[in-house]
Amino acid sequence: MIKGIWVEGPVKKGVLDFLNGLLAEKKIKAVLMPAKNKGGDSYAWFLMGKDRLLESADPVPPVMTTQGANVVSYLTKKGPVWEKTAVLLRPCEYRAVIELAKIKQVDLTNLVLISFDCPGAYPLEKYVNGDPEELDESFEVCLGGVVELDGPRNVCAICHRFTGTGADIEIGLMGGEGKGFWLVPGSKQGEELLDGAVGSESDNIDVREKAISDRTIARETKRNNTLDSFQETVMGPENLLNTLSACINCHNCSRVCPICFCRECYFDSKALSSEADNMLQRAQRKSGLRLPPDLLLFHLGRMSHMSVSCVSCGACEDACPANVPVSMLFALAGRNTQAVFDYEPGRRLDEAIPHTVFKFEELKDFETPYIKEYSKV
Amino acid sequence: MDEKKEFTPSIIYGLCSWCGTGGSETAGAMHLQYADNIRPFRVPCTGAIDPVYILRALIEGADGFAVSGCHPGDCHFDSGNYRARRRIAVLKSLLDTFGLDSERVLLRWVGHGEGKRFADTVNEFNDYIKEMKKNPLAERRDT
Ligand code: SF4
Ligand code: SF4
Repeated sequence: MIKGIWVEGPVKKGVLDFLNGLLAEKKIKAVLMPAKNKGGDSYAWFLMGKDRLLESADPVPPVMTTQGANVVSYLTKKGPVWEKTAVLLRPCEYRAVIELAKIKQVDLTNLVLISFDCPGAYPLEKYVNGDPEELDESFEVCLGGVVELDGPRNVCAICHRFTGTGADIEIGLMGGEGKGFWLVPGSKQGEELLDGAVGSESDNIDVREKAISDRTIARETKRNNTLDSFQETVMGPENLLNTLSACINCHNCSRVCPICFCRECYFDSKALSSEADNMLQRAQRKSGLRLPPDLLLFHLGRMSHMSVSCVSCGACEDACPANVPVSMLFALAGRNTQAVFDYEPGRRLDEAIPHTVFKFEELKDFETPYIKEYSKV
Repeated sequence: MDEKKEFTPSIIYGLCSWCGTGGSETAGAMHLQYADNIRPFRVPCTGAIDPVYILRALIEGADGFAVSGCHPGDCHFDSGNYRARRRIAVLKSLLDTFGLDSERVLLRWVGHGEGKRFADTVNEFNDYIKEMKKNPLAERRDT
């Protein structure tokens, strides 16, 4: 497999040229990626083809609007796409696509997954209410991987999986210093598509590898330290409930979560609705009851369902109207539950989601051993 | 009477209809005594216990939640107990993450014929929870 093709020049234009080339040569039929809206203050996903992309298409947008995995899931819900379709995804979106493919919520047939070295993203609210032009400019400066994004979302600041490792094609930005980028094949399909791409066979790609490994090490430390000190602020009923106290039970966080794919969420179902009498009894036991009830149950329960697959994309926090640090809570939960199974969501398609498999001998620490002669009473 | 004696914990015991419940029947047939403040909760299989049930119990007033079912290799549905073990591992590591007393959740396999093991488990867990005192979540109104 070739290591990569170096494409000199402005990054975004270069990527669009490459994609337009694939369309023109009929190697792919369509491209799914975000494009800037007419108002200029946000992005939406578009399926583009037949022969060229939208002028406002942006392969590396500064915000994450709809999580890409939700879009791909929507596209292939009723079956695969019939013709080759390229999808441009942030690394966390790519990993969510892989998680969803494992549980058959995405059909990967005929999809070409393309990802990039991600500089991070701005909080959606900050972008929509701020000065998009100014933010676009400072975002652009970070594409080469030298400068870190100023004021990204919480999860982006501690993201240690910021490359699209595993995707059919990676757009290598780190180490390119904004002077160009590498097209890096990650699969046989990716390699075939790169055959004939405009650019030069790369002899400088180790610059990217070095930049990635340096940042990975720094980010891993930062991630663990940040999550450790965050954990101290949410430990115990008092702290945890205070952290959640602003929550308005809107369930937006779960609705936008790509991993929470259930048609009907348990927490929105009739299973949890009860008679007034039930709530009065609960209020009596607890000397009062917050309404709507089941706030803690929702968050902890959701974590128990999906935190092993949480890719830490931050969509939940972008969608939260109440400034609850949901993405940090779930990043922390995910880090710890994933560690139990040495599992990393989205790392490999053939790595089964822990809830769907088991080993005969495992997890002894979670069982309480029987003390044979326990003879009280 | 000291304070410890006065506290009778509220404990839910999730038992599968094959081994866990069987164990409790055997204990009864053997006339074994065990703490009567546990409330058995019968499910078809430990694999049918979603952690949300356990969470709900703990949030709404239970001081402890025990789960017993067929030993590994003996599950009536072949693999339900292995799945239960994974779910409980996830739940316990979540409770640990947020400092919410993961020891209030107990997992121990009890076979159909293991009446003594069943009675012992009830008593042991009951004593343990008594030591731990009341579950602080149960008294919070802002849950
Ligand atoms: S919280 Fe649980 S039931 Fe609800 S959508 Fe997520 S996984 Fe499904
Ligand atoms: S989006 Fe925010 S306010 Fe809404 S349920 Fe989630 S945490 Fe609560």
